[in-house]
Amino acid sequence: MTDDKDVLRDVWFGRIPTCFTLYQDEITEREAEPYYLLLPRVSYLTLVTDKVKKHFQKVMRQEDISEIWFEYEGTPLKWHYPIGLLFDLLASSSALPWNITVHFKSFPEKDLLHCPSKDAIEAHFMSCVKEADALKHKSQVINEMQKKDHKQLWMGLQNDRFDQFWAINRKLMEYPAEENGFRYIPFRIYQTTTERPFIQKLFRPVAADGQPHTLGDLLKEVCPSAIAPEDGERRNQVMIHGIEPMLETPLQWLSEHLSYPDNFLHISIIPKQTE
Amino acid sequence: MAEEPESVLQLPSTAAAGGEGLTDVSPETATPEPPSSAAVSPGTEEPSGDTKKKIDILLKAVGDTPIMKTKKWAVERTRTIQGLIDFIKKFLKLVASEQLCCFCPILLKFIYVNQSFAPSPDQEVGTLYECFGSDGKLVLHYCKSQAWG
Repeated sequence: MTDDKDVLRDVWFGRIPTCFTLYQDEITEREAEPYYLLLPRVSYLTLVTDKVKKHFQKVMRQEDISEIWFEYEGTPLKWHYPIGLLFDLLASSSALPWNITVHFKSFPEKDLLHCPSKDAIEAHFMSCVKEADALKHKSQVINEMQKKDHKQLWMGLQNDRFDQFWAINRKLMEYPAEENGFRYIPFRIYQTTTERPFIQKLFRPVAADGQPHTLGDLLKEVCPSAIAPEDGERRNQVMIHGIEPMLETPLQWLSEHLSYPDNFLHISIIPKQTE
Repeated sequence: MAEEPESVLQLPSTAAAGGEGLTDVSPETATPEPPSSAAVSPGTEEPSGDTKKKIDILLKAVGDTPIMKTKKWAVERTRTIQGLIDFIKKFLKLVASEQLCCFCPILLKFIYVNQSFAPSPDQEVGTLYECFGSDGKLVLHYCKSQAWG
């Protein structure tokens, strides 16, 4: 359907206007100007910020530079979470641009993973893709692919090539004709109000009686506080890619159209802003 | 069900994030664990009936990695993969600089590395158990080199 393919493009090309500012305690030889960039929602911070790094390193001495890391309002930003997820979860209620602070010292070992190279990002990304396929197809589709197909998924993401990526990814979105959907839906639900990093459980797209499960069904089962109270004013927003899908949306459709490139639905539960 | 004889050996808890030390699985009920603030997660959403705080993990060595004498462990759900890796390294007396990776095989019967994925170091073992455990346990392979595709 043409309309549904448009959704795939809209998701892929989503951007967040961001202002990067150097942390005030970093040692510079001259004043560091902020750097503005449109960040792809579906990518990862360390994959798309080479220009940011170069910009600030120009005004610093080599000996004052170690691994770059990013922070928003005191919260270190996990590079291994997709950019759009970080924004929706932490900054969606604030005015644009997204103000991110750049650090080159005092790497927060307890909060962040190191990102030694682009290979580390690729390994993490492919690991997520494989885990998603383990849930959707018992890994059969990803394992039948050749190494060059896996590479194409990564290159498509790295080079922002929608067609290159989806030429392969569409196979990961198929399911046997006799089934009504994937085996289980790959999803992760994030909230800033709990200690747990995220909720991830086994959940089928179709009920035993053949009825398609909806987003609302999923939340009711694994995170009821997200849609509480059932009668009355809801306390939270349920956000994917910066939008609030209707709770009646079939989960299988969401998985096929609103997943991130890693094939997971990354869902943010954020408190509703009172006017 | 036949059980392997297990030693009831308590390990010192690690100070780093991840909470209490791992305990051997013994057929009898273990003595109550001392309360540890690090391992308790306030506000978790546990559906009713999900009362086990610990899950059983079976650790298997891959390649030329040393084999652990005790393979079956009861682990707090909130322990991360990184915490588990640190524990295995300590147990095997590996130096800090040696790399150790953890895999989750999808099909328990096959141990081909290229049919597995490597969970992210900050992933909780409880989540992996929910999604990829079977027969009441989570099987994880550990390996010294990055052998996966």
